[in-house]
Amino acid sequence: MSLRDQVAIVGIGCTEFSKDSGVSTLTLAARAILAAVEDAGVQASELDGIATFRVGDSVPPAILAQSLGIRDLRYFVDQFGGGSVSHSIVGQAALAIHAGIAETVVCYRALNARSEFRMGGTGRPPVDAIETQYQAPFGYFTPPQQFAMAARAHMERYGTSAEQLGAVAVQQRANASLNERAMMRKPISLDDYLASRWIVEPFRLLDCCLETDGAVALLLTSAERARDLRQDPILISGVTWGSGQTLYSNQQPDSTRTSAADMAPRLFEMAGVGPHDIDVAELYDCFSYSVLVQLEDYGFCKKGEGGAFVESGATALGGSLPVNTHGGFLSEGYVHGLNHVYEAVSQLRGDAGERQVENAQVALSAAQPGYVSGNTSALVLRRDS
Amino acid sequence: MSDAIPKPLPHPDRDSEPYWKALSQGRFQLQRCGSCNALRWPPRALCNRCVGFEFEWVDVATTGRIVSWTRTHQVFAPAYRGEVPYTTVAVALDAQEDISMIGGWSTDRDPRAGETVRIRLVDAPEGFKLPCWEPA
Repeated sequence: MSLRDQVAIVGIGCTEFSKDSGVSTLTLAARAILAAVEDAGVQASELDGIATFRVGDSVPPAILAQSLGIRDLRYFVDQFGGGSVSHSIVGQAALAIHAGIAETVVCYRALNARSEFRMGGTGRPPVDAIETQYQAPFGYFTPPQQFAMAARAHMERYGTSAEQLGAVAVQQRANASLNERAMMRKPISLDDYLASRWIVEPFRLLDCCLETDGAVALLLTSAERARDLRQDPILISGVTWGSGQTLYSNQQPDSTRTSAADMAPRLFEMAGVGPHDIDVAELYDCFSYSVLVQLEDYGFCKKGEGGAFVESGATALGGSLPVNTHGGFLSEGYVHGLNHVYEAVSQLRGDAGERQVENAQVALSAAQPGYVSGNTSALVLRRDS
Repeated sequence: MSDAIPKPLPHPDRDSEPYWKALSQGRFQLQRCGSCNALRWPPRALCNRCVGFEFEWVDVATTGRIVSWTRTHQVFAPAYRGEVPYTTVAVALDAQEDISMIGGWSTDRDPRAGETVRIRLVDAPEGFKLPCWEPA
């Protein structure tokens, strides 16, 4: 039997998003998990599965199980990886529930990504990955450099402009101004964007995600059981994994296309929807450019037209496809993809307050589209009708 | 303390050691598959076209074209404090156009997408030579 609509997200929880939490990732994870448990109206003792991903920067599931007093954890995932695997752990949890391995699984991501372990080796030696040796000797070892390289290629090939990258930042900040969780809520203009300092050309400061201390947790159970719990169930209609080439592996002559382009058709097929059915999209925005390329690769606009699509206002609140309604990594905070799922669930429940997308029934939430890692993952979620 | 972190050098592994050694001797070599003749990048034991394990290291053309480039202004590691801003390029090799690699740019003017470039080997500590690029 297909996994479509068989498992639901029934609880969501998060901590404050800050630059310095002052607490351990264990504390952050526990706070978010207990908030999700409370939101769902279940007991922590009912948890029998825990899933997370990390890059050597956070508390593992076994420690959380001990801390939460779970004596017999029936299922766990401790996925190594960054943002590209963020949505895959939700898929892992759904598979385990659907297969009867576990009944109540919590997915979390907890990180002190500003006060402790900053991504990209900032202030530390670069990570020891196989491909690092061909890049780091040139002073090139951080995500903004890697994504800037792709953004420039897109600008050269399709005429994507700085103003179009800026439109992403401006729209997302406007959304964040309506979000009490967001770290950056003061609206910005395109002039503010253009005046912000260079980080790595063609990226300015306001093209880049925040660095955040915080945690998000998502509680999953079967759709059948979900209908007896406190919240409206949000069903997992589709979840897919994708992989492909990176800029640095041969057979990838085009750095303006991501693994998401190959994965998207099977994601939509699994969910039984198409891009035109998506009411709201939360797209992994480590950088402004990542949003443009996903709009193209998930089929919301033609290849090369992501910039114009954003500039048209289509992705703003009130547009045909509101994107990153929470403000995304650029303005809400960087919780490595799970805050995108949190927001998608809030929108589908109708709980998003001033930034609520009217009659949101189906949402896409997507991980890093695979440009650097070669991996990606994504979810289609919908209201139980 | 962190100021003591030096600029990263290549760290050759069991697959890449011959690549870096050839560069240190002034030669730009890649693996050519013994089964299908395709070039491999990055260095590795097997061919991602035919899954053959046979190969030989061969001299390849030292020219390519600019795919993209960036200029880094942010100091991501203390060792680069005196170097910013600096330019990094992605180059598609003439030897096989689906291979692109990251390199330094050792010319004052900006690179131009699509322009033809050639390798210039730049000396680094411990006898390494780094493949950087300049207009051809």
